[in-house]
Amino acid sequence: MKLGKKELLVLYTNMLRARRADERIVKALQEGKVASFYHSGQGSEAVGVGACSFLRNDDYIYPHHRGHGLAYILSKGASMKAHMAEHFGRATGMAGGVSGFHGVDPEHGIFGGGGTIGSQFPVSAGWGLAAKKNGRAQVVLCCFGDGSSNRGTLHEAMNLAAVWKLPIVWLCENNLYAQWMPIKDAYPQEDIADLAHGYNMPGVVVDGQDVIAVHETVSAAVERARKGEGPSLVECKTYRYRAHSEGSADIAHTDPRPPEEIEAWKKRDPIKLFQERLLSEGIITHTDVDRIEKAVMAEVDEAEKFALESPLPDPSIFAKILYRV
Amino acid sequence: MRQLPYIMAINEALAEEMARNDKIFIIGEDVQAGVFRASSGLVQRFGKDRVMDTPLSETVVAGAAIGAAMAGYHPVADFMFADFMWCAADEVFLKAAKWHFIHGGKVSLPVVLFANMGGGARVGPEHSQCPESVVMHTPGLKLAVPSCAADAKGLLKTALRDPNPVVYFYHKRLLGLMGDVPDGEYTIPFGVADVKKEGKDVTVVATSYMVQHALTVAKELEGKISVEVVDPRTLEPFDIDTIIKSVKKTGRVVIVDEDTMRCGVTAEIAMQIMEKAFDALDAPIQRVAAANYPIAGAYMEQYVLPSPKDIQAAIEAVAKK
Repeated sequence: MKLGKKELLVLYTNMLRARRADERIVKALQEGKVASFYHSGQGSEAVGVGACSFLRNDDYIYPHHRGHGLAYILSKGASMKAHMAEHFGRATGMAGGVSGFHGVDPEHGIFGGGGTIGSQFPVSAGWGLAAKKNGRAQVVLCCFGDGSSNRGTLHEAMNLAAVWKLPIVWLCENNLYAQWMPIKDAYPQEDIADLAHGYNMPGVVVDGQDVIAVHETVSAAVERARKGEGPSLVECKTYRYRAHSEGSADIAHTDPRPPEEIEAWKKRDPIKLFQERLLSEGIITHTDVDRIEKAVMAEVDEAEKFALESPLPDPSIFAKILYRV
Repeated sequence: MRQLPYIMAINEALAEEMARNDKIFIIGEDVQAGVFRASSGLVQRFGKDRVMDTPLSETVVAGAAIGAAMAGYHPVADFMFADFMWCAADEVFLKAAKWHFIHGGKVSLPVVLFANMGGGARVGPEHSQCPESVVMHTPGLKLAVPSCAADAKGLLKTALRDPNPVVYFYHKRLLGLMGDVPDGEYTIPFGVADVKKEGKDVTVVATSYMVQHALTVAKELEGKISVEVVDPRTLEPFDIDTIIKSVKKTGRVVIVDEDTMRCGVTAEIAMQIMEKAFDALDAPIQRVAAANYPIAGAYMEQYVLPSPKDIQAAIEAVAKK
């Protein structure tokens, strides 16, 4: 898909939406408004936004856990209000306030999330199987991190998907750390994409700070899957700016993450890079930048207000949702 | 009434429900041939897209079934042996059990988690468990444990029409057991216990294969002790009312289950009886279950598993008090 001005603005706006909503949840958590914990996704917005902004509504996604899926689910069409309300523990949240942080929106192909890293692979294989059986050329985008790539579930699911040619894009956000574990001490190769060779599927490495590169690479994998040619693996080299979770130590093993490393990555901030590119190519003006910023901040303000004004769920809901009747 | 072996009643339930609902498919290792013959013959009738042989990968068997369930299918994930379900513990206990609840009821998980359980075949500690208690313990999973051919068919058909995850454990020592199976369409509702034999002196609550042991013992004791045998048939939902009704009649209870004694199904049932009918008890409740060891292999298995002799001793002990 060749991107025109309209699509480029969608990518830019979605990255900004994910960033500003993430910043607001971090602030709200510090103010005691957030009911659960939070894993910021700041720094890696180009991956989810580039991958999901132009998927079909009936495609299935398993979002990355950072930002509790923000970059992915907003791009897929889910509501920022409902995401914020879930984090504030409200009945209007994506999961009715019962989970506290899982994004769920089946109408947009988002079936929820789990707490165990690596469990996205087997259920995504199931969505891929359903997509193949449906015969409507749907695809599944299953996101995972460098940490998840260490799980055995990856092997079982990637193997099955390859053997059965399931329409799945395995999308890796390699942000170099699994909580406090540096990737170099957890994986013996440079590129996680190399795993693809073992499953006889394409494996591609892409600059995860470049939203266009992510979009183009993922789109090629998506089209391949839609045509029934099977799964692919796309690895995006990216980074997270903040600690693993809010309030936890920002370390590698026991030592602080190197400040020069964090600074170097911030120089390649995905939103800044894309804004500079759009300005230099004359696609947008500084006035557009200000206008988009204002619109996004208004959406974030409104989402927070909605969340704060929403009621807390009533525990009587438990008996109604343990089973479907 | 016609008679069928237990395993063929299961096979018939699968065939009937697959014909009735094209969203049902079976997925697992060697399900096309059918290791216990549960799914034998179905691939010839329904094709490879609905009877799917997978690589040796229990985790993704479960995950694929659960994922497809969320997306509108009604899969049967066949783990072969119940012990192998632990390879997919995350998928079974964290995903299937929790995702409807934790997502505010927005995601459905109509899936049957299907496995053969039980000892008595001398196949060792990792092919012989009855891991019912862990399933019964976990909120969000229904659990059917049929003890005879008619129940095996009726409960499986109900499982395949339930919009929730159902664990279905069929017992390896029951596979060839002949039993009356009604012709034509029938289902057995979940959460309805069945009084397999009426009696007045002692209530024996037994599950799965242990029901057959209990019936054998009850027959041997005829004329001496009148034994009532109650089979809950599903452990979740659990029909405590039928059990309490029996306990109020007899005042004496033995609970028999093949899972490990400690924190087992027997412990839960005993406590529920205590809570609801303590005043009706004329003697302390007796339990018969597997000893608190792994299921030993070869000839040593018999010293871990509960036997008819143990059941008889427990009935006699509780009757004397």
